[in-house]
Amino acid sequence: MFSSICKRCDKNPAATMNSRFRTVWMSVLMAAMPIPALAQGFDPSLLLKPRTDSWPTYHGDYSGKRHSGLTQITPENVHRLGLAWSFQTGLNIPIKASPILANGIVYLTAPDNIWAIDVRTGRQIWRYTYPMNEGFHIGHRGAAVYKDSVFLTTPDAHMIALDARTGTVRWNIEIADSKRGYWSTNAPLLVRNHLLVGVSGDFDNLPGILKSIDPETGKTQWVFYSTPPPDTSDPTSGGATGGQMWMTGTYDPELNLVFVGTGNPTPVLNGAARLGDNPWTCSIVAINPDSGKLVWGFQASPHDTHDWDAAEVPVLVDANFRGTPRKMLMQASRNGYFFVLDRTDGKNLLTVPFATVNWTSGIDKMGRPIPNPAKDPAPDGRLIAPNEVGGTNYRSPSFDPKSGLFIVSAQDGYGIYFFKPEHGAYGWAGADYGVAGKAVLRAIDYQSGKIKWNHDLGDGAGTAGVLTTESGVTFTGDTAGNVLALRTADGATLWHSGIGRVGNSPITYELDGRQYVLVAGASGLYAFVLPEERQ
Amino acid sequence: MAVGGRAQAPASQGRADSPAAQRRPQTVGPQSYTPEQVKLGQTRFAAQCGFCHGRDAYGGEGGPDLTRSLLVAEDSRGDKIGALLRTGRLERGMPAFDFSEGDRLAIIAFIHDQKTKAESLVGGRRGVNVEDLQTGNGERGLQYFNGAGGCSKCHSPTGDLAGVASRFQGLALLQRMLYPAGRPTPDPPTASVTLPSGEVITGKLAYRDEFTIALIDSTGWYRSWAQTTVKTKIDDPLSAHFDQLGEYSDEDIHDVFKYLQTLR
Repeated sequence: MFSSICKRCDKNPAATMNSRFRTVWMSVLMAAMPIPALAQGFDPSLLLKPRTDSWPTYHGDYSGKRHSGLTQITPENVHRLGLAWSFQTGLNIPIKASPILANGIVYLTAPDNIWAIDVRTGRQIWRYTYPMNEGFHIGHRGAAVYKDSVFLTTPDAHMIALDARTGTVRWNIEIADSKRGYWSTNAPLLVRNHLLVGVSGDFDNLPGILKSIDPETGKTQWVFYSTPPPDTSDPTSGGATGGQMWMTGTYDPELNLVFVGTGNPTPVLNGAARLGDNPWTCSIVAINPDSGKLVWGFQASPHDTHDWDAAEVPVLVDANFRGTPRKMLMQASRNGYFFVLDRTDGKNLLTVPFATVNWTSGIDKMGRPIPNPAKDPAPDGRLIAPNEVGGTNYRSPSFDPKSGLFIVSAQDGYGIYFFKPEHGAYGWAGADYGVAGKAVLRAIDYQSGKIKWNHDLGDGAGTAGVLTTESGVTFTGDTAGNVLALRTADGATLWHSGIGRVGNSPITYELDGRQYVLVAGASGLYAFVLPEERQ
Repeated sequence: MAVGGRAQAPASQGRADSPAAQRRPQTVGPQSYTPEQVKLGQTRFAAQCGFCHGRDAYGGEGGPDLTRSLLVAEDSRGDKIGALLRTGRLERGMPAFDFSEGDRLAIIAFIHDQKTKAESLVGGRRGVNVEDLQTGNGERGLQYFNGAGGCSKCHSPTGDLAGVASRFQGLALLQRMLYPAGRPTPDPPTASVTLPSGEVITGKLAYRDEFTIALIDSTGWYRSWAQTTVKTKIDDPLSAHFDQLGEYSDEDIHDVFKYLQTLR
């Protein structure tokens, strides 16, 4: 299947065999003759105010609201949506990535794979496949673009810079050592000339790493450790490792702060091996993107023993909070709690559960849930809500500014957690099993934390993220394999299409005067649009 | 994967079929593979199978621990695993794979090698032994079963639960008690669909979402309707199990479990 060459770059599958040779020639020619600089390259300053014909970064913009100002598709006409095109990856695995759209090209990723797709036709422009490797192929979140490069993280914790025009490799760097147990699914976050990239690793006791990479050269600018790096005697984490920053953060240009959620501590279920709160695991950290220094941190789950990452999207909202204008950060966290923070200093404004929880004995003065020791994993098992999948997970929520609703794919679920000393203090160090769950889309009033509406999504845990638009439409997916359009005001169903399970979050953009909704179902990508108006 | 709208945990959560509670089944016969095969198998496994079964085959996001799988234990040089790879188990979310013969054998070699390695681990990797679960009080469990738990409204120790502890042990019994998903699959809920004509069709629920309902009717046919055109009534006994999850204390769970263990 694989030759010894270090890359594979398939052109459009409709192309003839001869064009395969042309492809190679084109690559050689392109390498030999520099293309006029940046005729179409993506200007990173556009991330401050993305164009409506693009979705140029994982969240669409720096705020993480996953809310679009486009209004052509409305609650009144959304039932007329039809398919413009679909693209099939041909792989056996579901797409867990958000598409990225820049310069008329959609970049879609899966582990070891990235496709460049013509946004007008759904035709493949090129495909790059990373060589077979022993990394952990759990999923992939998406690509990042910068000038004429596109970036792909890999299961063996490398990052590849590809020529965005052709898919040829520019450079390939190791982010972290996969042989020690790191992998990466991360969609990097670009802030000016800093490409912030994170890794994962739950099965080994590894410090949490976020790296800033020069997008031009691949050189490391700084490394932020959420738990102490090896060979330091820093006791602040209480002996915990972990706190991996595997999800894409958000950025406030005014404060010049990047906000990133950190993962669970390791050993995962054995809390006795790491006493105390274990900062900065299960936390939201605010980092200066130029220096990599921590400015503040807030722990969503102090001393976690249930694998509840706080890696979920830190959504940035500027609005009144109970009468006072605030720069806020909101997160629906995997532990089942919804947090509102003041993002200038990390102080807590609101902590309230948004899903079934049974693991706390209260909320402390800093707004952090207090873990109930009786709900720590035990030799004979403890029934815990939520389960390991969480009250929510990586799939994006959305904030609708007009209604003030924070809309999140929630799960009311239970799991059973075990730990005994023989499980040791390395890696998972215990066992847990999901019992049952129900998926519900929840609209939270951010000022009170009250649930304004629920929309049942089916049994188990939902897998779809959420997109809202200024016209009052919410897009998401249910557990049966339908993409849904709901009315943001009350959660009523307006439209659906059975495209297969939606595994991440829809995006929207305007092209040639028409608004499209682009969403992955199972292993394919689908572009929906209103019917063309007859002339 | 759960097909249909049953109250059933998805594969990624359920793992009710995980035999982790039991002693790891013994491989039928000694098998030898070359280190090159195992190494190639590790690469192929990570890329194609690790997604669900974990990169080490110990189970992962959706797929069971293969080192505890009965099918793997009964496999001899791929006669069972190879066939499964070719056909898949679509109803449980396992796709079919079109591997070359060399890759297929390499993957099989890697799975057997991982099983051998897992068996040599001292102290046990994540797993639950039957003896870990013996902290409850069977008398109290019986009281809860007949009283606060409401279990006896649907179940009987001399009826459906007779011999349940012979059919399931340890973690498998505990999971079955909390929420009866997994294998053997519990009977689907009964659905009644009232057509616009007034005709009522009753059968086993086959699919349900917000838009569509389907059942297997008394003649064995799969029939589906738009939810907007019919009235539906579903009798799902599993919903009582889900509701009970919010009621149990951990002590209740261990007590009822202890009681169920007496139903041999």
